[in-house]
Amino acid sequence: MVATQINRAVDFLRDAVNEASVLWWRFFDWLAMVEWRQLYLVWFLVLAFGVGFQLVDPAIWFIMISLGVKVLAGGKRRAELMAKEADEKANVATLERRLMEAKMAALQAQVEPHFLFNTLALIGQLIETDQKEAARVHAHLVEYLRSSLPQMRAGAGATLGKQVELSRAYLAIMQARMKERLAVRWEVPDFLGSSPFPPMMLQTLIENAIKHGLEPKVEGGTITVRAHVEHATLHVDVCDDGVGIDPHAGEGVGLANIRERLALLYGPQAELVIEAPLAGGACASIRLPYRMTEDG
Amino acid sequence: MSPAQPTALIADDEAPMRDQLRMRLQEAWPELRIVAEAANGMEAVALAEQHRPDIAFLDIRMPGMGGIEAARQLYPRCHIVFATAYDQYAVDAFEQGAIDYLLKPVTRERLDTTRERLGKRLARAPQDIGAQLAQLGHLLRDGGARRPNYLRWIQAQVGSSLRMISTREVLFFQSEDKYTRVQTATTELLIRKTLKELADELDPDEFWRIHRSTLVRVDVIEEVSRDLRGRQMVKLRGWPEALEVSRNNAHLFQQM
Repeated sequence: MVATQINRAVDFLRDAVNEASVLWWRFFDWLAMVEWRQLYLVWFLVLAFGVGFQLVDPAIWFIMISLGVKVLAGGKRRAELMAKEADEKANVATLERRLMEAKMAALQAQVEPHFLFNTLALIGQLIETDQKEAARVHAHLVEYLRSSLPQMRAGAGATLGKQVELSRAYLAIMQARMKERLAVRWEVPDFLGSSPFPPMMLQTLIENAIKHGLEPKVEGGTITVRAHVEHATLHVDVCDDGVGIDPHAGEGVGLANIRERLALLYGPQAELVIEAPLAGGACASIRLPYRMTEDG
Repeated sequence: MSPAQPTALIADDEAPMRDQLRMRLQEAWPELRIVAEAANGMEAVALAEQHRPDIAFLDIRMPGMGGIEAARQLYPRCHIVFATAYDQYAVDAFEQGAIDYLLKPVTRERLDTTRERLGKRLARAPQDIGAQLAQLGHLLRDGGARRPNYLRWIQAQVGSSLRMISTREVLFFQSEDKYTRVQTATTELLIRKTLKELADELDPDEFWRIHRSTLVRVDVIEEVSRDLRGRQMVKLRGWPEALEVSRNNAHLFQQM
């Protein structure tokens, strides 16, 4: 019985001390932030209250202590509070940025249903007529889906090599479908495979080249994927000799998305350049700071 | 009246898909004679001219001329069946129509239905499906919502190639002597088009002329304020200097 009573008393005391300390710090913060003019007004009211209720001494003590605290510790405390607030804002900004990146990554990774159904139709046909080819296209499709569906991509490092692998699978499928109408040229040196590169960007450029450049062209054409380093900048170009860019057709979600993501990830150090070569077709080029390895 | 040996044309840009349709048709409809195969709409129209098929099986998406446009040229002369791997709009539109459609990969059962439907129709002349084709074409064009023909890409000569700048990249245009300066967040380029020409060709909802010499993208306007001399100034997101609004164009920001 006695022990529990003592325990209760100790608990009560501890709570009271905690509460008092919270109140004290709140008072302290208020003092640090409050303007002098407001403080004068408060002092005047406290003094008037003290005189009215015969509590002049406590009122004077209150004024002396608050004056001391305000003068000695106010500046530092106010700076601390402001720094904290700024920190919180910065955190919110970072979080917003992360959220946006995640959203965009999800958006980027959407597989076009048209592509998926066409490929499945092709595999269905090849199973009957050319089983080896069916198995090949099927393997490419699995590879493509594995790297393009976001939940399956978790943990995979975003290197140029990985992106090239994904796009190779995609282009192999497109070649099985378009046959001699699609030629592919790769000019990506092996040593660039390990350099970091944001996911799905290369793929978007390639899909664009196929969809807007080569598929609409009756005789088809060639798509060239090129990568090189120039003045510490990594250039990744996707060029096609297709129908070219219609100046009246909007640039589409894909390119705008790449541009926004580049700005978020690299600021003004990265850019997406679209060119119309004089020989015809279109060239899209992603240029970003070159780093040798993912964590370098 | 129904022909004993009806004839058909198959058009699909993917050879394996043509093979598939031919194989399935031969199983499901042995009397049907496939007289021609085309890889795009243009070829389909030319071959139909030559072979006069009773039925044309047309893939919707083909390079050059697509299935719907080909059908427009073919329909009073032959019956049309569309084929598609995936197209929500198209399938919706076909549901209530006089045109038949096939979803790829084509199955034997589905072809039996098509044969039955066509068998009845072959006795008669093809129905007028012009209105339905127009509607289909409209639906397929990016969901139907296409803006008028505004300029969406600015072309600027850079060295030996033509740089294409999306209008969504541009912060503002400013006239400078004989040239117009195109300003994006990262680059500045000069083009030969005058500001007047640009103002006429660009979407007036996307770009506002705030000054005789300035055309600004509305989306990037951050704030409009007055400076000490009482001039209206526009601040753009991602651009340090404010741009002046001339008195004549002050009305643009009156409602804001």
